[in-house]
Amino acid sequence: MTTHTIDLVTRDGERVSFPCDETESVVAAAAKANLTLPGHCREGGCGACRATASEGDYHLAGHSASALPAEAANAREVLLCRTFPRGDLSIAAPFDRSHILSGPVAERQAEIVERALVGERTVRLLISLVPDEDNGNAAEFEAGQYMELEIPGTGVRRAYSLSNTANWLGHLEFLIRLQPGGRFSHWLEHEARPGQILSVRGPQGSFTLQERGLRPRWFVAGGTGLAPMLSMLRRMAEWQEPQEARLYFGVSVEAELFALDELERLKAELPKLTVVPCVWKPGAGWTGFAGTPVDALRRDLADAKTAPDIYLCGPPALIDAAEAAARDHDVPADHLFSERFLPS
Amino acid sequence: MFCYQCEQTARTDSSAGCATAKGMCGKDATTADLQDLLVHAVKGIAQYSRRARALGAADREADAFVLYALFTTLTNVNFNATRFVGLLNEAAQTRDRVKALYETTARDKSAAVETLSGPALWQPAADMEGLQAQAAEVPVTAGQTEVGEDIVGLRALILYGLKGVAAYAHHAYVLGGASEEVFAGVADALDFLANEPKDAGALLEQALGLGRLNLKVMELLDSANTGRFGTPTPTPVRVTPIKGKAILVSGHDLGDLEALLKLTEGKGINIYTHGEMLPAHGYPTLKAYPHLAGNWGGAWQDQQRDFAEFPGPILMTSNCIIEPNPRYRQRIFTTGPVGWPGVRHLEHHAFGPLVDAALALPGFKDDAAEEKTILVGFGGDAVLGVADKVIEAVKGGAIKHFFLIGGCDGAAPGRNYYTDFATGAPNDTVVLTLGCNKYRFNQHDFGAIGGIPRLLDIGQCNDSYSAIRIAGALADAFGCEVNDLPLSLIVSWFEQKAAAVLLTLLALGIKNIHLGPTLPAFITPAVLDQLVETFGIRPISTAEADIANALNRAA
Repeated sequence: MTTHTIDLVTRDGERVSFPCDETESVVAAAAKANLTLPGHCREGGCGACRATASEGDYHLAGHSASALPAEAANAREVLLCRTFPRGDLSIAAPFDRSHILSGPVAERQAEIVERALVGERTVRLLISLVPDEDNGNAAEFEAGQYMELEIPGTGVRRAYSLSNTANWLGHLEFLIRLQPGGRFSHWLEHEARPGQILSVRGPQGSFTLQERGLRPRWFVAGGTGLAPMLSMLRRMAEWQEPQEARLYFGVSVEAELFALDELERLKAELPKLTVVPCVWKPGAGWTGFAGTPVDALRRDLADAKTAPDIYLCGPPALIDAAEAAARDHDVPADHLFSERFLPS
Repeated sequence: MFCYQCEQTARTDSSAGCATAKGMCGKDATTADLQDLLVHAVKGIAQYSRRARALGAADREADAFVLYALFTTLTNVNFNATRFVGLLNEAAQTRDRVKALYETTARDKSAAVETLSGPALWQPAADMEGLQAQAAEVPVTAGQTEVGEDIVGLRALILYGLKGVAAYAHHAYVLGGASEEVFAGVADALDFLANEPKDAGALLEQALGLGRLNLKVMELLDSANTGRFGTPTPTPVRVTPIKGKAILVSGHDLGDLEALLKLTEGKGINIYTHGEMLPAHGYPTLKAYPHLAGNWGGAWQDQQRDFAEFPGPILMTSNCIIEPNPRYRQRIFTTGPVGWPGVRHLEHHAFGPLVDAALALPGFKDDAAEEKTILVGFGGDAVLGVADKVIEAVKGGAIKHFFLIGGCDGAAPGRNYYTDFATGAPNDTVVLTLGCNKYRFNQHDFGAIGGIPRLLDIGQCNDSYSAIRIAGALADAFGCEVNDLPLSLIVSWFEQKAAAVLLTLLALGIKNIHLGPTLPAFITPAVLDQLVETFGIRPISTAEADIANALNRAA
């Protein structure tokens, strides 16, 4: 068995090294070194462990083209869960050192507090962590991170972004799109009840706010991609952060809009926040922006005096289109942060 | 980025200084560069405030801002680039206000209005890229090709000492200890640097002047602490936990601690001190709070382990913060000059979120199996209160020598020297200690000499004034100079507060200081030669050899 060294440099400049056999993925080797790298599906499907192989040879095993398009793979982007070294390998990771956990992802129990339909096919799920000896009531996570929720008694888990902020009441809030035929969606729509207990794993993920001075923060959300943006904006309001912010919130039809009251409240707390609801196929009475959030983004980038940081969350097509718009307007690549919604 | 302000700066055989994307302290290049620019900006404020003051006009708010701004640029204080963009804009507004004050005052007094150059003219760029471009023009090594590294090193010595002075002065200021002399001295030093001085003699004299100014600042701080919280007295401090909810407070700001103690009264939350906050237990006003329960953890460089194991929220009131790891990142809070990206900052003593966090988090599940304590509170008054016994013990030969082992701690392996020194000091010697390097030996049983504990914990680096008072009083009692006392100073430095204290010791004419674990990277060989020649300053060697040398010299 041939063993190589993985030299991983995180977004914040920290260096992490560990051995990796040719027969094991970078993620698996990291786990053997008691390091949990950001990721979710661990089988090349979700794109949450995307990084760049800056130096060295490797084999990239089969994966979803949505998680890593061929063009990106040709540019030496990799999915760490599908990357097998063929020599010492240097990796530039788009996450911070603090997002690499020492040991496994934490697992806790939580009780359903409230489940409510807030838009067409969108459910707001509020759960409360069951206090335990090690954590008490604390719900500790970074704005933008996600948790895995398990359908009770099945072992079936799905990852959803948190839409609230870290708190001391144990509350975790999610905005979940009911997918036709989805197992979790079916359970959530038909079986989930207040008082039920489920297992949650996390927090996980590296899609979090970056400190870049007073550079404007623009957020582009497709559907329930709003959840992590809502978390970030709520944190900005809670901490009274000074940056100018814009939210482009896109849905297909007006009936799919949700959380507008909350966004109005946030506008009151964040005077420099602009919210642009975008409806792709609006009805006759719609007076807001008609089109996709990427259309609105393109329009406003054309007039932007300074290149903002842009946070993207939604389906891969939306992310790809938004990234292309940003490139067309000379927004540097390191101003872009994204999380893709993929089936897992 | 180029930074060599602290002891842990990157070193190779041929060079020293952090010059990569991230410094040894964890500061990224952007933040380090913005800090350089902030130093440039406050020089501009000082150029005007010095001239306004010469005409009898002062802006107290601007003076306080200068202290605060400089404090944020110390090692292990503020790592948040966003905060520095805000401070830079605030600096420009402050400068404009002081400029207007100066010009108005000059006109009112029919004095000529000087047209200033250099930092006085700086205008903040509109965005981060522009600010970084400006920062690239004003690194700490600016002008090195013209004036050489000795002059740049001496400028750095003044700047870093000044940062320490500003930090101490800020500590005093927030407790109500304001001094026109100190504000003026800080402005004078910044204005001196703004003029890009080139004369080595003038630079060294300015550095010693800063040392003298720092003595005033330390006196002011001592007075502010004791005036507000009483005179420290020897006090046992529990270093093992008590069952129950808990909050940990680190840093130097006793006012923040008092505010938190008041806020948590009757809430069933115990408050623990960490690191630099340990001396709080000696102050009567603070120890009167029954829920000031004890001290947790070791020196600052161990905080990632100590904080992760602490089952409650943590408040950082000043230096030294290092990167919070994920196990406690959401339950650590900063206040005052401190900052870390993604860590919640609380201002104006609004510590409600800490209380909420403490009540939600588990706290200590049980009392420690065995209660352990250490003694603190041997400030100037406490030691001088038993001066007669001490003098008698010296004259009778029971105490042969005093070692003052003080200063910062750090992670470098060479710092074991201080443990070896303290524990290796002969039993007929007394160890006085202050600062964080005490954590290397303060749980060791040193015993006592005639009822006088062999280890006397004077406090933190903030309490240096007490050490100077003690040395002065002993010299008076023996009718000699401090340098003639059976006293050796073993100083460990890490950051800029220590630089300020070192300048004070030199300004007082204290000689033969053992300085380690390494010498400052900004002290060039030529400057070191001069310090050795004038002050007998010497690098540490081994504990055994240095103890022997000290005792031989005294004999």
